Amino acid sequence: MDEGLIEYILKKSKEKGADDVVVNLGESTSSQIKFVHNKIVTIKNSVDSACSIFLVKDKKVVETLIQDLSTKNIDNTITKLIKFANISQPNPNYVCIAQGPFKYKKAESPDKKLVNIGDKTVDLLETGINSALSAGANRTAGTITTEVANSILGTSNNVFAKDFGASIAFSIRAFAEKDASGHGVSCSTTLKDFNPTEAGTHAGEIAKSALNPQLGIAGKYDIVFEPLAFAGFLEHTMDSASIFSVEAGFSFFANKLNKQVANNIVNLNDHGYINGGLGSGICDAEGVPTQNNTVIKDGVLKTYLHNSSTAARYNTKTTANAGLISPNPTNIVLAPGKLTQDELIKSIKHGLLVTNLWYTRFQNYSTGDFSTIPRDGIFLIEDGKITKSIKDIRISDNMLNLLNNISGIAKNQQQIVSWEVGTPTFTPSVLVKNVNVTKSTQ
Amino acid sequence: MSTIVKNLMDTDIADFSVKYATKLGASYSETRLVSLDGNSFVLKNSIPEISAFGKTCGIGMRIILNGHMGFMSTNNLDKSNIRTEIEKTISMLKRGEKIAVEEELSREESFKVKDIVKQKEKMQDKSADEKLALLTDIDKALVSQKFEVSGRYLTISDVMENKYFVTSEGTEIHQEIPRINVVYLLTVGSGQKSVQRYQTYNGVGGWEILKDWNLIKTLVDESKSLNDNIVNGIKAPKGVIDVIAAPEVVGIAVHESTGHPYEADRIFGREGAQAGESFVTEKMLGEQIGSGIVNVVDDPQLENNGGYYRFDDEGVKARRKFLIKDGKINEFLHNRSTAAKMNLKSNGSARAAEYSVEPIVRMSNTFMLPGKLSEEELIEDVKLGVYMKNFTEWNIDDKRFNQRYIGSEAYLIKNGKICEPVKRPVLEVTTPTFYSSIDGLSKKVGFVGGSCGKGEPMQGIPVTMGGPTIRLRNIKLGG
Repeated sequence: MDEGLIEYILKKSKEKGADDVVVNLGESTSSQIKFVHNKIVTIKNSVDSACSIFLVKDKKVVETLIQDLSTKNIDNTITKLIKFANISQPNPNYVCIAQGPFKYKKAESPDKKLVNIGDKTVDLLETGINSALSAGANRTAGTITTEVANSILGTSNNVFAKDFGASIAFSIRAFAEKDASGHGVSCSTTLKDFNPTEAGTHAGEIAKSALNPQLGIAGKYDIVFEPLAFAGFLEHTMDSASIFSVEAGFSFFANKLNKQVANNIVNLNDHGYINGGLGSGICDAEGVPTQNNTVIKDGVLKTYLHNSSTAARYNTKTTANAGLISPNPTNIVLAPGKLTQDELIKSIKHGLLVTNLWYTRFQNYSTGDFSTIPRDGIFLIEDGKITKSIKDIRISDNMLNLLNNISGIAKNQQQIVSWEVGTPTFTPSVLVKNVNVTKSTQ
Repeated sequence: MSTIVKNLMDTDIADFSVKYATKLGASYSETRLVSLDGNSFVLKNSIPEISAFGKTCGIGMRIILNGHMGFMSTNNLDKSNIRTEIEKTISMLKRGEKIAVEEELSREESFKVKDIVKQKEKMQDKSADEKLALLTDIDKALVSQKFEVSGRYLTISDVMENKYFVTSEGTEIHQEIPRINVVYLLTVGSGQKSVQRYQTYNGVGGWEILKDWNLIKTLVDESKSLNDNIVNGIKAPKGVIDVIAAPEVVGIAVHESTGHPYEADRIFGREGAQAGESFVTEKMLGEQIGSGIVNVVDDPQLENNGGYYRFDDEGVKARRKFLIKDGKINEFLHNRSTAAKMNLKSNGSARAAEYSVEPIVRMSNTFMLPGKLSEEELIEDVKLGVYMKNFTEWNIDDKRFNQRYIGSEAYLIKNGKICEPVKRPVLEVTTPTFYSSIDGLSKKVGFVGGSCGKGEPMQGIPVTMGGPTIRLRNIKLGG
């Protein structure tokens, strides 16, 4: 990629009257193999590149994305951006972008084996499918995805940063019968830590155990959520911590700073450079070096997620979570406990083991009222033991209740990225007491 | 070289890609060249957060080699890159052959056509200022209310979608579709005493569409109703009663529990890993699923609705599909692959959200057909019931069998009269129970917009959903 191009865009924009400019040039190569009924149905390859330009003039904030990187198009685009800014309205909330230069941690080189994996993903896919079948499934569906991405960031405030990354993700749903399924995922930034066998086996084992499910019964349950299920709750939690969500009404953490929002065993971080995190990078979208932010400590909300502009308004420091308009989480990390998942289950008199969730929807983001649907294996726990497979229930509760009712955290931490969880989330299994379960009337 | 499109996009590269794949042995190939040129604006609590514009262009290509399907996409439209990516895709197809399924597509008519959606007032002629003014006018109207509208998150976006679709079978279709999308979140009151309203309006056409939506009045009326619900709302009744569901509630119900489970790719398990499968099976065609007055259709040809198209993303001519006819399961949504599995012709339901994703089976504008009653007639013989004008939280399981809708603006009905507002009535029912309980339909229909998610990677596409006001008899209200 052409580093001079960024300098050219910054220079031209300033010449035309821009106050602040952020340019991000990125390219990515990805492949995905989709399989259904244990067979490949599509093989996909994608190669894309684009350049985003964020420009502020007289507090008027504008942005564009271009693909044509010819000098002529860049010149035209900058002229159009300035014109667009001139007829836009000022954003009185805009303060600044970060002032560089910054010293960055040395970025880890992407795993060469992963970068050069090519069509070997077919073998890994087969391994995952066969593991699920060996564990008791009779059919599987899912995807294996690889991505290699590079980016260069430059700003008018003396920031220049180059970053790169590679990742692989496997998602497999295994079926033992139409109503008996399990889901497993494995994702990593290195091939050595990627484990399709474990994901396939886990999905197959759940599917087999979920055979002959009975209709669930509404009521209150103590629930152990496996990592795939609990990651979705943590993503909603961290999204709620973004100051943009708080201001826009999408957060249940408004007016909760330095207040107890979860049980005191909960320690939740946003970790921008955690080893192996699919969301890790050297800096945020305005070039501030990524941080490990303690968002919830001993159950208390310690900070909202900020960029430089929002931080200045709240008289605090950026948390290196830019999003130039909306601060975003990077990698979400729930600190593990000391127990095993089995020990959590043994502690329950009347409860459930939930292995996956889907379709979480909020009645009111600001109060945290929601419902969500357990899918794949759901198991009744009686007197510390799993006694049967159940189906057709819904969890209808409140996020603040749920966080406060966390009473056990296991040590089996796993990184989750899934259809329902877009931000990489490291979480173990979690026990939540007294969760409200409803079901459809017939 | 295509003769259809002039001076819009470089269609040569699309034509070249199809020919090159054929040269390398593909039995079938198709290319969608898609250009999106649009603007977006965000207003948050009276503050214009950001104004953006952008233009993207790329190709998405499907290739069948030795019976196996590959997909390639890129926004680098240099011939050398296209060649490399096609070769890479073909190499991977060969590598995966031993565990790949044989893909068969239904035989379909080829077309060489151009469809340009007309705009009475071209959105390209509207300045950024005018577009943002729409949001600021709504915001001012909300702020001037006597009660607190504490959260006002308003967005508007417009995009000109330009698509050129070419296949090795001789199809060349150019479509130009202008789209407008408005999404908002209103918060009335504060803290535990707040209520929220999240809604999407989308349409195909020019700026004139916005007049039909009458957004200032709509949002002000909605915020007044939300405030009325906070101040005067009573507990919703529970137990077996009648429910009158207005078009917005009917729309989400038919989208979730008719449209999705009738997508044939779900029925055949292709979306089993994520979007899910379906409680409906091939054998259930013709089975009674609801009362005899229920008819649900999916119709891409509704002009100005957000799910409009004349040709789908496999080049098949769009038509109305009767999913439920006289209460019976009548037809599924098909692309060429699922149609071939059932020895049918495709009914034109393949859509791709952008150039970089494959076309899969999707809904367009899904709605229940109207009846002959007025809304007043539906309500007048309800002794005890609830009128649900719209909803807030909703979801449905991945088989599409257990669904739940929580009323937002809702009222008690006593002896045929609408009375005080009720707080958050919960309709949590199975799909057959919902459709079997319907005994009355209004003659007037309404629609709302939405973004429907499906696929791997996730594809959000614009759809609309709606229907008449309906009466559900003797249904259990919970919560």
